[in-house]
Amino acid sequence: MRRKISAVVLNVLLLLLGVVTVYPFVWMLSSSFKKNSEIMALEQHLLPQVFTLDNYVNMNAHFNFLRFFLNSLVVTLVVTVLVIYTSTLCGFVLSKYKFRGRNVLFGFVLSTMMIPWCVTIIPKYSMIQSFGWMDSYKALIIPAMFSGFGIFMMKQHISSLPDEILEAARIDGANEFYIFHRIVFPMAKNGISSIAIFQFLWTWEDFLWPYLVINSQEKQLLAVGLKMFNGQYSTDYGALFAATAISIVPVLLIYLFFQKQFIAGIAASAVKG
Amino acid sequence: MKRRIFAAMMAAALAVTGLAGCGGSTEQKNEEKETAKAEVPAEPFGDTIKYDPSVEINDGKDISVELWEWGSDDLFQKVIDGYTAIHPNVSIKLVNNPWEDYWTKLPLALDGEKGPAIFNIHNSYHENLINYLAPLDIPLEDLQADFTGVDAHVIDGEVYYIDYGMMTGSVYYNKKMWEEAGLTEDDIPKTWDEMREVAKKLTVRDGDKLIQAGLNFNDDFHQNYLLGLNYQLGENLFQEDGKTPNINTDAMKQVMQMLVDMYEVDGVGSKDFGEKGSDSFGQGQSAMVIQWGHYYNTLKTTWSDIDFGVFEIPTFDGNPYAYNRYNGESTFGINKNAPEDQQAVAQDFVKYFLANDEAQIEFNLAMSTFPAKKSLAENEKILENPSLRVLSEHIDHYIWPGPMPSTMETSLKKAGQDIFFNGVDIDTAFAEAQENIIKDMKNSSFVSVENLYAYAE
Repeated sequence: MRRKISAVVLNVLLLLLGVVTVYPFVWMLSSSFKKNSEIMALEQHLLPQVFTLDNYVNMNAHFNFLRFFLNSLVVTLVVTVLVIYTSTLCGFVLSKYKFRGRNVLFGFVLSTMMIPWCVTIIPKYSMIQSFGWMDSYKALIIPAMFSGFGIFMMKQHISSLPDEILEAARIDGANEFYIFHRIVFPMAKNGISSIAIFQFLWTWEDFLWPYLVINSQEKQLLAVGLKMFNGQYSTDYGALFAATAISIVPVLLIYLFFQKQFIAGIAASAVKG
Repeated sequence: MKRRIFAAMMAAALAVTGLAGCGGSTEQKNEEKETAKAEVPAEPFGDTIKYDPSVEINDGKDISVELWEWGSDDLFQKVIDGYTAIHPNVSIKLVNNPWEDYWTKLPLALDGEKGPAIFNIHNSYHENLINYLAPLDIPLEDLQADFTGVDAHVIDGEVYYIDYGMMTGSVYYNKKMWEEAGLTEDDIPKTWDEMREVAKKLTVRDGDKLIQAGLNFNDDFHQNYLLGLNYQLGENLFQEDGKTPNINTDAMKQVMQMLVDMYEVDGVGSKDFGEKGSDSFGQGQSAMVIQWGHYYNTLKTTWSDIDFGVFEIPTFDGNPYAYNRYNGESTFGINKNAPEDQQAVAQDFVKYFLANDEAQIEFNLAMSTFPAKKSLAENEKILENPSLRVLSEHIDHYIWPGPMPSTMETSLKKAGQDIFFNGVDIDTAFAEAQENIIKDMKNSSFVSVENLYAYAE
């Protein structure tokens, strides 16, 4: 009986927390169908009093939404795939190969996670400028190819794979390339899913770096576009909410597809070392 | 399975919405492009600054430059289209930016050789940008002849940008509430005493509860009252050296006392009645607010249901030293690090912009600023805008103190909040504000240009 009551209390508490977390999102979604005067009105209603699709129809007034969206999708997918590959490869090397300086190298990788981005952004900007990569996706993709967090996650994850499997493959004549691609990669799919979700989300919502290095409107990304709704004196909230509502769909999709492996991957990385 | 169906539905929704949003706009833009072909003037135009369309630029050779701005793509594009119609060999690429982050990106870009040749300026970022600016290649006396306020922009004999428009505060009132209170056009107040009486009539209470504020200055009292009404009492914001703030003065305290009395003695509003006066007016909760020109556009777009009127800011005695402070909307900056041929195009483009009355009118109407171009002071289109019409009579009696450091606003806001919310007395709050500003401005190169006011004493 006591256990039942605690379960009910816990569930009610979780439900309340869930509502608190989800409510702003629902409000934003609902407000994307309201006029700006209703969004700013003193008396607030969750559902629109006057339903309008104008915000969705007119959001292109600020920028070419679909173009920005596709640009973001391409850059995010490329960066995510590259980070998955490089993280898994580095994680494999750092966890399964014994060589002098391995721990120092891993420490160096970890240290890159501890330097705040604001310290590195100006030297990074100067480098990109002198390489002549400004206004090019090279500036977005190449510096993002390696992720300290990804390498850390994958090292933790791959170290949990039994060495015996790799040894058996070697005895059967598999080379290291084969072992990595045919054995380690498939067995690391939970970790890969976690990295995929994290990296996709980070790249998708990254604003400052793409804004600094991309100038052409036709190459610009969605996170930058969303900022265009904030004017000098006012903000077009309706259009902002409409564009934001659509912009989160890919992130939701990625999470929906990978959530099972994501949870398993996070749990595995947290407990194995 | 369910998850996949849900995902597929979301993907479909995304595609449909995205395509719908895109389709409308693209078609519209194509249509606009077809109809809006810029006219090519045959004769030189302008007042003292003349633009001669027959003079080739870059020897007729193809050249591309970038123009960076924030906000109003269509407005800038129209000027670009007009210019490139005259000079088809010039291509100007417009780069739109979000307002806040523009000021991070622009100095970084201007530091190298590949920054934009032309860029939009806001004078509040003067100190960050001035070292990247090339002086205008237009004689000073020509600028002075055509535009007001040029002297305030002269640095060692050079002018790097000027104002195309002047923005300041006026009183916005809700016409419906005005009528309901039995007020007519004749009741429009000229003095602060009259304003307080009108505000009382516009205030509605249900017992002790405030239902409708006669006047609301929450969140913007520092910008719209404290930093401006001092001029009506003959006091500048900076002392004679142009560097020391002049905050802890009787004039400032008189203005602050009036604000406190309006809420606490007259009861025409309350510090707790709406977080922002401007929103409260739009929400139909407050009958009057003092706002700067940009509010006219906000009312037209966000609060389109409000039927409003505008009148000039009242004065203490009907004969002020100056009516209020104004701030300029600046003309474009020219990047001194850009290649010389690009700078030449930029110089020519700025000249075209300054000589072009149509562009001047459109920029001023878009920003609700009063034209700095003297010949446009009586322009019909300008005077059709009520927020500009009310300024026309006394526009020469407004003062620009220069690009003040932001501490002037933040310190006075804090002082006012301390008075309203924390029970700090006016003398103490203003003494603290004065000290704070002096401390914050220690390394600032700012020098006030209040001494350049036409009626300076």
